[in-house]
This record gives sequence, C-alpha cells and structure tokens, in this order.
Amino acid sequence: MFKIQLNYLSLTKKIMWRLNKVRHKAGRHGDSSEQFRSKRREQENALRQARRDRQLVSKRLLLNDDEEHPEVTMETNSAGQDVVSLFLKLQHSGPEKEADLKALSKALRDPSAQLTFIKQGKSMHLLVGLLTGSNAQCRLQAVQCLHELSHSPHATVAPACLPVTPYLLTYLSGQSTRFTELCLYTLGNLCPDSDVVTEKLLAQGIIPALTSCLENQRHNLALVEAVGFTLSQLLQNRDAAEKIIPTVLASSLPSLLLSVLTPDPQFGLAPAIECAWCLHYLTSRQSAVDGRVLLCHGALLQCSSLLVSIGGVVADGKKEEGMELLICPLLRCVGNLLSSCPVDDLIAQVDDVRLPAALCALLQAYLHTQPALARETAWVLNNLTAPAHSIEFCSALLTLNLVPGLIQLLPFSQGINTMILRVLANIAHKKKEFCVQLIQLGLLSALCATLKMADPEMVTLSLDVLFMLVTSCPQVAEEFVKQGGLSLIEAIQYNSEGEMRRRAAYLLEHKLLS
Amino acid sequence: MLQPELDRLRTEGDVLVRSCGDVCPTSETEQSEVEEGNPFSFSPRLIHLHKDHELFEDGDIQRHMYLQDLYIFAEDDKPSLSVSEFACHISGCTTVFSTLQEYEHHYNSLHRNVCCSCHRSLPTARLLDIHIQEWHDSLFTILAEKQDMYQCLVEGCGQRFRTSKHRKDHLIKIHKYPQDFKFDKIKTDRREKKRQQHKDTDMEVVDDVCVSEGVCEDMCGVLSDQPEQGESMEMHMTDEDTTGMAANIEDPSLAVHGTTSTSTDPLKPRYSYRVPANICFGQASVRGFRGRRGKRK
Repeated sequence: MFKIQLNYLSLTKKIMWRLNKVRHKAGRHGDSSEQFRSKRREQENALRQARRDRQLVSKRLLLNDDEEHPEVTMETNSAGQDVVSLFLKLQHSGPEKEADLKALSKALRDPSAQLTFIKQGKSMHLLVGLLTGSNAQCRLQAVQCLHELSHSPHATVAPACLPVTPYLLTYLSGQSTRFTELCLYTLGNLCPDSDVVTEKLLAQGIIPALTSCLENQRHNLALVEAVGFTLSQLLQNRDAAEKIIPTVLASSLPSLLLSVLTPDPQFGLAPAIECAWCLHYLTSRQSAVDGRVLLCHGALLQCSSLLVSIGGVVADGKKEEGMELLICPLLRCVGNLLSSCPVDDLIAQVDDVRLPAALCALLQAYLHTQPALARETAWVLNNLTAPAHSIEFCSALLTLNLVPGLIQLLPFSQGINTMILRVLANIAHKKKEFCVQLIQLGLLSALCATLKMADPEMVTLSLDVLFMLVTSCPQVAEEFVKQGGLSLIEAIQYNSEGEMRRRAAYLLEHKLLS
Repeated sequence: MLQPELDRLRTEGDVLVRSCGDVCPTSETEQSEVEEGNPFSFSPRLIHLHKDHELFEDGDIQRHMYLQDLYIFAEDDKPSLSVSEFACHISGCTTVFSTLQEYEHHYNSLHRNVCCSCHRSLPTARLLDIHIQEWHDSLFTILAEKQDMYQCLVEGCGQRFRTSKHRKDHLIKIHKYPQDFKFDKIKTDRREKKRQQHKDTDMEVVDDVCVSEGVCEDMCGVLSDQPEQGESMEMHMTDEDTTGMAANIEDPSLAVHGTTSTSTDPLKPRYSYRVPANICFGQASVRGFRGRRGKRK
C-alpha cells in the first residue's frame, strides 16, 4: 500500500533497534501453555481494573546478571526462617557478612520474608548501616536487599524503607553503575506506594538528584533507562499535575530527556522507551503553558522526526520487536503537543512533511496486531490535519497517495473509523479542490457504506462529510444519487437520532432533490 | 492561556477540544445561500487527551505489562480487529448486520415498498401500486363495480378481472400459482391478519436470526400465513422527542467517545414518529417503515 513511499522514506536514516538485551527480560517464556496464558489474562484484567480505579502502578525488578526469571525458588517457611537467622547473624557482624547479606537479598525475594524482615526491630537500621559502611561489597548487597524490599507487593513494606531514601538519593551522584542502578530502581519502586513517600522524596530533592544523574550519566544507557523509569513513576502520581510536573518542566530534565530519546542500535529501545513515557506524562496536563515549554525545547520536532524514522523502518517491513512500546508514548507526545502548538508555528515545529506518510505507514503496519496503536495513530493524524494552517499536511496526504489507504480503514471499528473519517473531513474542510480529489479517490462510494453503519457518530460524521462534498461541486449531488444514495438519505430521515434526521432532511431539501 | 486565534475552547472530562475555525472554506462562496437552520456543524478539532483517557487504556496496559515482565513480544493470538456493523436506520428497526449485503437485502426487502396506510410490505413496486389501488383507493372501488379492474399479478399478462376472486382463480388456473399466494390476500382476511399481527409481536425474536431471513422464508412460502414480518409500528413525534434526545445525543464534535460506543450498545428508541398519512413517497423511496422490537445482536 505504501510502497510508493518506501523510496521516499528510505532517504531518512534507517536505524535498527533491538530489544534483545532484555535486562528486565520479558515474555520470552518458552512455556506458552494455556495455564500461563490464562494467568496473564488475569493479570491483564487486574491491570485494567486498576487503571479504571486510577491506581495503575507497577514496580520493576532488576535481576542479577545470572538470573533469567524472577522465580521465587525457596519455600516460604524456610525463607522466613532464613531471614530471621540471617538478620541475627548480621547484627553480630560476623566474618561472613558479605555472604550473609547476599543470602539475605536472595531470601528477600519472597514476599512473606519481606514482611518478616521489616517486622524485626532495627532491621532498617541495620541495612542503613551496611549501606553507608566502608565495605563496598556490603553496600552493594545492602542496596540489593532494599531493592527486593521495594518490589514488595505488601503495602506496609515501602513506608518501612523511608529511612534509606536520603542515602539512595545521595548515591545517585556516585560512580558505580550497578550500585546507582539499584538505587534508582529502588527509588522508582518506592515512589508510587504512598503519598507520604512521594512527598518525602520531593522534599529530599529527588528531582534535582535525577537531573544531575541524567546529566552526568547521559552516555551510560543502563542508567538513563533507570532514571527514566524512576522519573516516570514520579510523574504518574495522581497529584503529579500540581506538585511535580511544574518543577520538572522548570528543570533541565525536558531537554535531557529529549537528548537521549533516539534509541541506540546496540543497547536497544529500553532507555528511549522510559524517556518517551516521561515526556508523555509531561504533555498530558491540559495546559498550554506546559506545551509551550516543551515546544521551546524542540520536543515536537524531536518526537516527530523520530516517528518519521520509525515510520521508514516500519514501511520497509523491518518492524522490530517491542517497537510499539516506544511508538506509543511518542505518538501521544506528538498528538498532545500538536494540540498545544501555536497555529502559525506548526510547520516550523514539525518541519517534516513526511510525518503524515510515517503515520500512515504505522497505521497499516499495526492495524491488525495492535489496533489500539492504530487508533492512537489516527488520533495524531487528526491533530495534524485539523489546524487551519495544516494545508501542507493535508496536501501531502493527497499527493503522496495516502488517502486510498485511509479510505480502506473505514470499515474498522473500535474508534478507528471515526477518527479516520475525521481526518478525511479535515482534508475536505480545507479546500474545494481537496474535496474534488477525495471524490476521485472514491470517498463518495465509501460514504454510501459508512452511512449505513451502526455507530451513530460514524453516520453523523458521514453526513457532515457528504455535505461538504456536495457543496464543493454541483455534479457531486448527481453522482451521489447515481450511486443510489438518495434512498439512503431518505431512510435516515426516520432515524431515532435528531442530529441525523436534521442533516438528512437538509441534504434532501437543499442539495439532493433540488 | 487562550490564544486569540481560537474560536472556542471546550473541556469535557479528559478531553480538551479546540475548534479550528468555524468558517468552512469549502462553503465560503455559498455563505449567502446557506439557510437558517443549517444543521451541519463539523469543523476540524484539535483533541488533547489526558493520560487517564480511555483511548489510552490499551497502550497503558501494554506499558505496565512490560514493566512487570509480563509482556509477550510478537504474540500469536493477537487482539482481533473488529469491523463496524451496519444497522437499519429506520427508527424502531433495531436490526444489525455484519455485511453491507445483509443490510441491503434487509432494507430492500422490508422497507422499500411499504404501504403507508397499512404498513404492509410488498416485494415490488408494482405489487405495491396494485395493493394501494385495490385496498386504499376509493375510486378504484367505485370503478370496480362497473369494470374489470383487478389486474393479473403476473407482469405482462395484462388481463383484468371483475373481482379479486376471479383474479385469484386465474392466477391458479392459468399461471399455476398456489392457493395461498402471499401477495394476493383477499381483503376480508384483514381482521384475521390483525390478530395474527398481535401474535407476531408476541413472538420472541431470536437474537441471531436476521430479519431478512424471515422474509426470505416468506417469499419461498415456507412460513404460514404471515404477510408481514413482525409488527408494524406507528410512531408518534412528541414533545418528549427533543428533551429525550438532548440526553441521548452525543456531541458529534467530540471524537473520542466513539471508541467505546460500539454497535453492540442498544439504541433504544425512546421516541417515535408518525408519518403523516397524506404523505406518500416516490417509487424508489420508503413509503413507511416497520419496526421490530427486537434485540440488537
């Protein structure tokens, strides 16, 4: 469908990204049994419900390099015992401190062991001591323990970890990659657990700490990913809008995030994914002020040119695994930034007439496998074609022969067709000449089908588009009648929706029968 | 915060919608001709979505599945992309179809040649004309007393008869029609039909049977003595109409609610209309409508 654009888009740099270094290994489970699938479905449904309750929160577990899966291999009982006995041993500062700590961190993988541990008096005091002690290995193992605790599903555990946060924050300026990484993920896991924790972290300067960490470690992609994750956790907070976003926008984080947005071919997509999600959360407030700050940093420029590159890759058929995880937040940034963009600035900000082509390539590539992503892409196309000054983009859709592909998407529901029809309506709305071209590309006959759809919004929109088309040129009415449209409009006069009836009646009276 | 070039700024929940100018260049030159009461209100709109918006649900879930190490890349059983359903427009007819063909068939079979007086549906325009003449035209009744007015139903035959009985006999004898040809009911059966109509409304509509299937069966003479499928509804336009609709109408300018309103949401007709008896439409148009208080699929 978009083969014509292949050559055009391949002029852009093509980057191969691989999400192979799955440090947080995802679903490469060879075991695709029904049990596994149904468990996943359960978890997915739980996530959906959590989202509806505005309580969608996740933690990440950083595995050791020798680990493949986060299995809890030990028996709960023995783990609990282990924890207590290890704790006692550690309190007495024996010669096997390091080994004991390592064993403790393994034991703390188990949720009930986590509970047991924090119930021990002065357990946190112990960890703080080891964390700040002179033994580097112990520091590492201590933070590993804290990381396990931070990942706990129990609500009581995170608040118990509060005493360590000032230290974790301090260590963000440290030099040891693995250590800093663990600090970051621990902080990221603790953030969303309670407002108390978040407030404390903000007071303790988490944002400046993250900023300087990102600044200094920009080339260390593992840390970039970790900072991105932690920041995204902060930004997802329910009250982020008032407390956190303004501070972040005022800092140098936006430009830093943008500077690390382009994925590295070797390292993979993961850091870019985290940073893109941060940017998405930053654009989601309904505030033109926020938008302008980001626009000044070139956010729209950067995100849209990245989408153009990705579109080129995708159009070439080289869709990488996991790319949708990056495309999604990028689309959202572009979509929302477009809606904050001052009208006459549009071309300057986007700078690339290939963006519509890239979006269409994404639509086609993900339509069947990720319909939700296709819907979000269509939304961005709407925002791209809506403004009065977006004539170049509308024109590009026509000259690059992208419209037939769009028309072919009109049968698909779940919000895809309504958004696509909006895009076509946006184009028709610009110029009579565009209407004529749309008709030549078959929009009129497509409308004969969409006018019969069950979705009332689709029908009303179709009537609106039809009105624009028949108004653009006198022959259109005739053509429409020839295609059997008259009886269709007459039938709509008997629809239960008043909006439809009025439109149908008007069309009959003024356009179709006169 | 408001930019001078914006005409309207509207918020609703998680969606911020900005309209991009009311003037439609496409209809600029026709502004003088645009009448009062032009109901078309489309204008391109920028849509800003808050992070909690439902359009973002699937993407968010995917993101969190990834964070929790539950995401499966390149999964085999993918979410199925769904195709929009079609629905009959006629108010009260709540049938839904998965293909255009089904829709066309339904519409052409049930809504095209409908008598506006008695709401009987005839399969062809010609039979409709004959029906109207014979059943609802008083002039016909008068003329029929003196002349052969009842036309043979077979096109091209041209013969006329004094009574409908004669015609029926002719149809059976000459054209080998069945005794109980559906589209040649004797007028006196009407009261009986009315009772049957009631029975039709009592009939449970089976969800997955397309109404058009019923018509097909009828045409093949399989069903017994039912000239109509379902009840015919007379609908009344009342004052409830506008107020009822205020709640029902979704602002067509807000794009995103469309994502959840699938065709499975039942459109319960809360109001009704009457087609004035003195209006009859052209050959190719709906002369009436019939409804079936059935469930949507």
